[in-house]
Amino acid sequence: MSAPLLQVRDLTIRFGGLVAVSEVGFDLGHDEVMCIIGPNGAGKSTLFNMISGIYRPTAGTIALEGRDITGMPAHRVAVAGIARTFQSSRLFGALTVLDNVVIGMHARTRSGVLDALLRPRRARAELREAADRAADLLRSLSEDLWARRHEQAAALPQADRRRLEIARALASEPRLIMLDEPSSGMDDRDTDALISDIRAVMAGRPGLSFLIIEHDMRLVGAFPERVMVIDHGQKLIEDDFAAVRVAPRVQEAYLGYKAVHA
Amino acid sequence: MNPETATPRAPGAPAAAARGGRLPDHLIVAAIELVGAWLLAVFLLSRTTWLIVLVLALFGAALVVMRLRPAIEERIVAAFGRARITALVLGGAIVLAYPFLLGGNSYAIHILIIGQLYAVLALALNFQLGSANIPNFATGASYGIGAYTSALLAVTFGVSFWLTLPAAAAVATFFGFVIGFPSMRTRDTYLALVTIAFAVVVHQLMNNFEWTGGPNGLVGIPAPSLFGHSFNSPIEIFGYRAPGQANFYYLAVALMVLSIVSARRLHDSRVGLAWNALREDELAARCQGINVVWFKMLAFGVDAFLAAFAGTVYAFYVGYISPDNFTFLVSVTIMTMVIVGGMDNAFGVIVGAFLLTMLPEKLRVFNDYRLLFVSALVILFLILRPQGLFPQRLRVYGGRK
Repeated sequence: MSAPLLQVRDLTIRFGGLVAVSEVGFDLGHDEVMCIIGPNGAGKSTLFNMISGIYRPTAGTIALEGRDITGMPAHRVAVAGIARTFQSSRLFGALTVLDNVVIGMHARTRSGVLDALLRPRRARAELREAADRAADLLRSLSEDLWARRHEQAAALPQADRRRLEIARALASEPRLIMLDEPSSGMDDRDTDALISDIRAVMAGRPGLSFLIIEHDMRLVGAFPERVMVIDHGQKLIEDDFAAVRVAPRVQEAYLGYKAVHA
Repeated sequence: MNPETATPRAPGAPAAAARGGRLPDHLIVAAIELVGAWLLAVFLLSRTTWLIVLVLALFGAALVVMRLRPAIEERIVAAFGRARITALVLGGAIVLAYPFLLGGNSYAIHILIIGQLYAVLALALNFQLGSANIPNFATGASYGIGAYTSALLAVTFGVSFWLTLPAAAAVATFFGFVIGFPSMRTRDTYLALVTIAFAVVVHQLMNNFEWTGGPNGLVGIPAPSLFGHSFNSPIEIFGYRAPGQANFYYLAVALMVLSIVSARRLHDSRVGLAWNALREDELAARCQGINVVWFKMLAFGVDAFLAAFAGTVYAFYVGYISPDNFTFLVSVTIMTMVIVGGMDNAFGVIVGAFLLTMLPEKLRVFNDYRLLFVSALVILFLILRPQGLFPQRLRVYGGRK
């Protein structure tokens, strides 16, 4: 009964004639962090989109704690325990910071239309309780974000936006969080802050695992245990960061065959 | 008007609170409600063009002031939030006494009834257009389905008005879901096209079926009665008389209160948040576990439900309905009311509905040009307040203040 948290087998997706991801497979255990790197257009985000249920894979399987979730619609994948952020941050901009996190709790709250209309006291109590938990979550992540919780999310600076996205993802109490290029558009200082944020989240939530797509080797170097390289939709190698760095196939993928063998 | 959702943004908050000491909340609330009611009465009763234009100018000036000095608006909203009981009691008293205050002018009461029915329709559409950004052009069709269902039940089977209300709502909600389901495969412009098609089809069916009376419509819808009091007979209290329309005025008030309460409760709930989430970013909403298809269909259902209530009251009020009451243009009008009033703001939507019902009526002096004037005024108001007269406000609740 020690099924890995996430089991991906031979995952393939075709868009017309284009094979965007081809037979990618990996296991991710509890409490693990795996970084996924690869050149632009390698199929990393497509892989995320399949795992989170946005795309339906052409072939292959995805299992979460032994349960098959292949082809499940995105909202049910979220309920099952996989949360994610997006490469270009997709916050609910016109809503408050707090609203964003409360919406993240959608999967863990219940009340529907009839509750809201006929049992308003109960629905409101549930929402208020969710808001309190959301505020605590924000505070644990960043005092600054907490102080701005009643402001519009669209007004936040870039680093805080990314942080809020992580808070929103955490709000659903996931077992796996997928971060799609969390450091994009950040300078080194912001990236360092992001790294310590991720470390803090991990320390506070034993059992939570991360999949991180990243270009910034600074961040990858901070979580070096497992790194997977994808190129042209295929998995090139999976090892620790030190080994991946020197692997000739990886250097070819990034720099070209000629540059490596010159 | 929407105390729980209304709050100043953080920087404005201390300033507004500090100024709170000078003018008591209750005074602000009472002054606004009384002056508002008085100006509305002047507007409704006046036959003098310059007086009508003056009231409109005052309304416009108030909007300009609020645009230039947002602190004033925040102060007013805060006052309504704190003096909530005063606002409700005084507002309720004014609404109840209004037909008598209008001196039994049945034309003015008629405009108010139609205004309230449109307010209900606009609130219904607001669940979709305002909360969830679903461009539904079929609210007029749901309105018609409600009206026809209840009228047919009453005329053919002699069912009482009070029983036709839930029946009409059930039928319209069913059709709401029916149209909601196929539209889930489409979005934005295409979704709008599907709903337009639905509205046109419903209108054509009403026109062509035998049992709907075809283009002649349905006549002889009996007036409802409550505890033996027919809605056709005038109301008399302590020697004050109000014409028969007042009965329907109170019925429309009840319906509008129901709609406002529903709107408030849904807006300040998990459902309202989910709708807002799919308005902001559908893909991100899905990844938060929101079943987008289900919540869109819910929005269609709620819209149709309330629209059917409005349709039923309309049918029994006028006593005669024909397909021309429920054309595609009605849906467009409702949509304009939501956009002009302010999306996702119940108070704004109601103001928009009243404004767009009353303007064409009161600007009849301009004869053929009146619609031109109405449009020009609407554009002017939108220049003053581009987000609608009363734009959506940030929610504030809990979150360990």
